[in-house]
Amino acid sequence: MSANVADLVARALDAFEVLAVTAEPVSDELQYVADLTTVWGARLRAVSAARGAEEAPAGADAALAALAVEAAKITDPHRAIDWLSTLPQVALAALGEAA
Amino acid sequence: MRFQEAKPDGRAVVYAHIQADPLVARAADLLAAGTTVQRLLARAVMNGESTDPETWRTMFPLLFGAAAAALGTPERDRSEALLAVSLQVADRGEQTRSQFRGAVVEALTERLLAERTGPVRRERRILFDGRPAEIHPYDATVERDGAAEAWDCKWGARGIKADVIHQLDDARAGAVSEGGKLLVGLVVFDARRSCEVRLVRERGPVAIEGIKLIALEGLDRLAGRRPA
Repeated sequence: MSANVADLVARALDAFEVLAVTAEPVSDELQYVADLTTVWGARLRAVSAARGAEEAPAGADAALAALAVEAAKITDPHRAIDWLSTLPQVALAALGEAA
Repeated sequence: MRFQEAKPDGRAVVYAHIQADPLVARAADLLAAGTTVQRLLARAVMNGESTDPETWRTMFPLLFGAAAAALGTPERDRSEALLAVSLQVADRGEQTRSQFRGAVVEALTERLLAERTGPVRRERRILFDGRPAEIHPYDATVERDGAAEAWDCKWGARGIKADVIHQLDDARAGAVSEGGKLLVGLVVFDARRSCEVRLVRERGPVAIEGIKLIALEGLDRLAGRRPA
């Protein structure tokens, strides 16, 4: 059975959480990390609320899997902060959504 | 209001070599013609860990999947070329790739601005009578009578800092105090959503309404085009 949009958004949010933990050591950017978590989390959840039951677009399942693996490879906290902005954009593009 | 060549310091001399690297020009040319998703691909790859192109093709089904433009079409060729160039930038090592990314955003900004207006110059300072000279040059300026512009370029939203906002606002105010006009703004190779949260936190007392924000999704506006 193919994944639906809600499944893939949940996967993106899990990967996002991994990045937020990796970014934690940069103490002077805690507020920025919290802000990114708030706005991008809300954006992704809004997609899930609107299209959750919909079958995911072709290629999105594999895209989100690859994206999660890439996020898990990020060990540098500064790069993780940059990826906190990048990951949701890539996930949304795979789901056919604008940032 | 006068524009002036910036005196190069040690950092600028080293950075000039990166700016002149053909890889920067190649990336900027491709990005100038690219779509928003192609630009996002470049952002992800240049900041990523994976060096296997297939990983990135999988991550971007809109560009490389079943529904993407067919192999051999200009759009697909551009996606492949951008992927290859971005991997070359990512391969330069952490410190160098960071400088490359900055240089790419500046070169891209220069190209897009030049489509709409001119003359476009790089690394220029702006002087106002009776005001102390600014510390940093602007990444790109449009030195056109009555329609001058000054832009700072950033790879990511995190590069938006209070001192950058203040300098742009000071320049805008300086032009007004001389009875002139200067459009000032930030070009950020990152999502508008991320830029806005950063801008609000870093603005301090500055009225940010006077500062244009061009984020990744809206880069074509620099060229006077609708976003692709």
